[in-house]
Amino acid sequence: MPDLGERANVMGPQPIMRRTPVPSAMITAAERVLELLATCKPVELAALAMPQSESDVAGIAAAVRPGTYDHHEILATARVKDHHFVKARLRGPRADPFTVIFRLGEHDGRWMIWDAINLTGRRGALSR
Amino acid sequence: MQKMIPVDKLARPDDRIMVSRERVLQARIDQGLPLASALPGEEDFLKFRLHGIAAGEMQAMEAAGRTLFDFPDAPWEFQLDMARQVWDESRHLEIFTKLLEYVGSYLGEFPESEVLWSCTQADDPAARVAGINRGLEGLACDVFEQIIRLAQRMGDPVIERAVDYVLADEITHVRMGSQWMRKLTEGDPERLQRALDFQANIDNLFNFQGGRTTREASPQVAFPLGDKQINFDATITIAREARLLAGFTDEEIDRLYRAAARSTAY
Repeated sequence: MPDLGERANVMGPQPIMRRTPVPSAMITAAERVLELLATCKPVELAALAMPQSESDVAGIAAAVRPGTYDHHEILATARVKDHHFVKARLRGPRADPFTVIFRLGEHDGRWMIWDAINLTGRRGALSR
Repeated sequence: MQKMIPVDKLARPDDRIMVSRERVLQARIDQGLPLASALPGEEDFLKFRLHGIAAGEMQAMEAAGRTLFDFPDAPWEFQLDMARQVWDESRHLEIFTKLLEYVGSYLGEFPESEVLWSCTQADDPAARVAGINRGLEGLACDVFEQIIRLAQRMGDPVIERAVDYVLADEITHVRMGSQWMRKLTEGDPERLQRALDFQANIDNLFNFQGGRTTREASPQVAFPLGDKQINFDATITIAREARLLAGFTDEEIDRLYRAAARSTAY
């Protein structure tokens, strides 16, 4: 689709509702999760997991070998009400990228992991 | 190129999140929301619904293209109809992408699920069009008719007319599907039954666990929508008139009504 430039300066219907911003606190929490994952800190990571995701989070943490990844990037976020799926990738100089999806949601004032999927080597996240 | 692309092989770019419907439903459950897909009255209903439709149009475009590719021995006229449908669905995707912008959303704001693609998993073109053109596009008739009424209630001609334009195409897609389902199964009642059974499974998949009713039976709820307060259906309704226009019989529509009522009882 062509870029129409500044929306308010063009003719035609203008948006009737505002965009819902991605919460910056959620992004901060996601960055923290990725840092813990990349630096192989399973105990700290487990402390952020809701009971239902504990085993998946532990499995993902166990799949990362120490010293393999030196940076990470958030590829996408998508929300269901106030919970956010975050797709992210860890990269390292001598390893294939490690791709994960976490679902983060607030619980008692903390951003916690409610769901976790290891996408590494897979095309998608469709199998439960 | 691989034929009959399975559900877990549907590709998306890195910047899109596609997860199973179960995972999306779990995210709703974890936040105390009803199990069914977003219902009128929920915050963000319109954004979520238009996003779901946009994703549906994309998968419908892919499905029609795949049907064309998967069945090269089907009649030429069948292939032409599928090609036309690819074009229709691509226009619909453009329309819904712009409608998303109009309601303050964008493609990718919500996760996409695979559920519509799961309705393509038939290796017979008759079942394929029964599932997609009659099952899914029939559901589209219901959903679009309801959004048109919601837009009328909002006093919003942009959404009303854009969705009405798309609904006209969906009606032709259903008719096309009915025509080909019957033509391809001529003289083979068992094959016709298999196609109808495949469609029935899809109809059942979209019962929304009691979140679907007739228009008359839908309770009215008040909820904020943008800067307006709206009284509207609390459920996803079945559009009898649009379905009749699309060529569904009264008996078929009554069966959907009964299935929705059974689902409510659960």
